[in-house]
Amino acid sequence: MGAAGAVLGSGLWTPARADDDNESRCGVPLPITYTHPTPTGPPIHHYFPGPIDGSAAATDPFGTHPEGRDPSLITNFSGVVGEVDLTFSGTATDTNTGAKAGYSFHTDTRFMRGEFIGSDQQRHKGAFAFI
Amino acid sequence: MSPLGPHSYDPGIAPSLLVWTIEIPEGSIEIDLNNAEATLHLENVCRVFDAFTVPNSFDTHHPLGLVSAVIESLSIHWTGISKTLSFSNGKTFRGDFIQSVAAPISVTVSTPSTTPPFTPAAQDGFEFVADPATTVTNFAQIGQEHNGSLF
Repeated sequence: MGAAGAVLGSGLWTPARADDDNESRCGVPLPITYTHPTPTGPPIHHYFPGPIDGSAAATDPFGTHPEGRDPSLITNFSGVVGEVDLTFSGTATDTNTGAKAGYSFHTDTRFMRGEFIGSDQQRHKGAFAFI
Repeated sequence: MSPLGPHSYDPGIAPSLLVWTIEIPEGSIEIDLNNAEATLHLENVCRVFDAFTVPNSFDTHHPLGLVSAVIESLSIHWTGISKTLSFSNGKTFRGDFIQSVAAPISVTVSTPSTTPPFTPAAQDGFEFVADPATTVTNFAQIGQEHNGSLF
């Protein structure tokens, strides 16, 4: 008790407030309801990139979506979104040997910033990246 | 297949089932819809894994292993107007979006060298630096939307 008392009395320890920062927020953002299958795991809550009206797109192997193709990963969301489907290349390095080689990637990356209602049924603000 | 092996970066799936999504500082995003421009800029993102392949990421057993990696920097810049599109399904989703002409990406990412049990066999470390000039924009859009109970 002595050590704990010393810490508590020193002013070095303060209890976290629920609204101090995002790390201490109790509610978490929830996923959109739409799901599609994956080759090796359970279905995931995600639309492939493409026009928001759900029309056919080369970037979406699951065809058309009359309900619309929501680019947000988060439901109960209102805000701005950016979405890309990109292929690109560059230089890769084996950091043990120093060997270098050309390397290519494909990415579906997005951002979301705005308000959402989280799992705590409360409205929050936040910014998110889908990587 | 590169002689440096497969690499695939994502933050994993949250207990809420939110897919590959992390919270970021609000200042990481700049967006100007009037000028059809936006930028996402991230640095030192260590809440990502190298899952090596997408199927391995989705497999809850991760047979190829799963190790923490670092996105040292990532920037994407959306520019231009290819098309504008508004849509509402009347119930759960509506939005107004600008399909961009291009969205070049700059990214530097690294994976440390690994040993079992984090990967089935020891693997050398890996670093990748993208050349933004090689970016092929298959699809890009920015806009605003409302979904779910905030429809």
